[in-house]
Amino acid sequence: MSTLTDLLQQVVEGIGSGAVYASLALALVLIHRFTGIVNFAQGELAMLSTYVAWQLMASGMPFWLALPVTLAVSFVGGMLVERLVIRPVQGAPELTVVIVTVGLFIFVNAAAGLIWSFTVKAFPQPFPDGGIDLAGVRMDWSTVGIIGVVAVVMGLLYLLFQHTSIGLVMRAVACNPESARLSGIRVSRVLMLGWGLAATVGAVSGVLVAPVLFLEPNMMGGVLIYAFAAATLGGFDSPVGAVVGGLFVGVAETLAGAYVDVIGPDLKVGVPLVIILAVLLVRPQGLFGRAAVERA
Amino acid sequence: MSGPPIDGTEAGETAERDFLKVSGLRAGYGQARVLHGLDFSVARGEVCAVLGPNGAGKTTTLRALCGMIRGRGSVTLNGAELLGRSPEQAARLGVAHVPEGRGTFNELTVEENLRIGAHLRTRGRWRGRGERAAVAADLERIYEYFPKLRQRSRQAAGSLSGGEQQMLAIGRALMLRPALLLLDEPSLGLAPLVTRELFEIVRTVNQEERTTVVVVEQNAQLALDIAHQAHVLEAGRLVLSGSAAQIREDGQVAEVYLGVPARSGQGG
Repeated sequence: MSTLTDLLQQVVEGIGSGAVYASLALALVLIHRFTGIVNFAQGELAMLSTYVAWQLMASGMPFWLALPVTLAVSFVGGMLVERLVIRPVQGAPELTVVIVTVGLFIFVNAAAGLIWSFTVKAFPQPFPDGGIDLAGVRMDWSTVGIIGVVAVVMGLLYLLFQHTSIGLVMRAVACNPESARLSGIRVSRVLMLGWGLAATVGAVSGVLVAPVLFLEPNMMGGVLIYAFAAATLGGFDSPVGAVVGGLFVGVAETLAGAYVDVIGPDLKVGVPLVIILAVLLVRPQGLFGRAAVERA
Repeated sequence: MSGPPIDGTEAGETAERDFLKVSGLRAGYGQARVLHGLDFSVARGEVCAVLGPNGAGKTTTLRALCGMIRGRGSVTLNGAELLGRSPEQAARLGVAHVPEGRGTFNELTVEENLRIGAHLRTRGRWRGRGERAAVAADLERIYEYFPKLRQRSRQAAGSLSGGEQQMLAIGRALMLRPALLLLDEPSLGLAPLVTRELFEIVRTVNQEERTTVVVVEQNAQLALDIAHQAHVLEAGRLVLSGSAAQIREDGQVAEVYLGVPARSGQGG
């Protein structure tokens, strides 16, 4: 294997894991755009969704039926979280809201452990074994599948936001909630919808990553760090940024693990932290984010 | 132009005269009471100007009318009580508020801003057969009032000049087909020429669509030019009410409260 194909091989694998980070980052960005909240529990909600999928399949449902059911359950669950947990602290100081999402993180994690125990469960791989060979670069069907699913999710979100009236209403609320209310928009309902949507997108990341990481309550902890790095890099209010950031973090992590001896496979988890730190120092608003400048 | 989209049937003369009826309106922020009992009425289809110095409670009055802050007393629009309603409920009753600072959706395009204004008309109980077509027709009408908005229809609203943003804010409010249009300091931060143009358009809209307007302004002369009735607000109380002509003629009062030079003396 030549150096170049080896490099390309690593990049492809990086994009595969990056797509998973991108989808969780997208969930983070959705909520941040709508509510200004960084939802530390996003990964745990995704983990919970993944358990729902596992439970459905354990009771005999085929994967491709369990998936839409799981996404629907996640959507409703996300809306309930907004209504029951977040809305009571709406308008409270930022720190209060952060603590509430951290509390939600711990609660969901413990609840999942209580219900399904902390033992690792195998999660079926929905994509066939094998793969394709592109000029010496091997692409597993699972990698192709992950990239494809995330691309479809992005496409659907784009259609929703840019080409439907509810999407327009959601963007208006994200942009200026007060003016939205003056135009007769029920903002609280739109915020619920935003949380439901984010939980759904997050659920996709959980279901995609579970066959690789195996299902257990702490499964999403590491992924959440990568997603934070992706969202920070792309800009916490830019969906496009979340995707670009996710792919970049995935590739950077894989390459660092493969080519930088000091880092290697053990230390590569440090890569997202370095990215977060570097972005915050150099360009705090991220690549695609808006700088926090108020126009008069 | 058909009437405003509210549940009005046979309206008597009183109902016409008291289309908007404000009685004993008190409002404030937390402990701070700003309005100490306002009473005034606006007839259907008229423009009412509320004038007064900074801090008199002009903005607070409009905020209470549209539900942004809580008020006590009574405010009825065509008989329906407005107090105690949220802004989104007030909007459903036909109140369109153009807040100070315009409140445009900066990241949305000009046309998207206008479509958001018509948001209520294409859903819920208002959804009628021809409503989509009517909204498209209204969009065209707004572009006729504000040709600059048509030129910039695909541009992000945040990239517009202050005057254009104010036009957009008014255009967005009109897309609701409001029964009552509330304008908060439309002249704020705008060049005199732009302000004049804007007030001309408000006058045209009022004449052509019989939209009832309450405009709050520091620039008294401009507001009086388009108003039928006017009130002077000072420290949360109305100190002077009358027709726009009466207020304008009341040279001394105008000079003291509005900074309008008296007719004799400094000139115009």
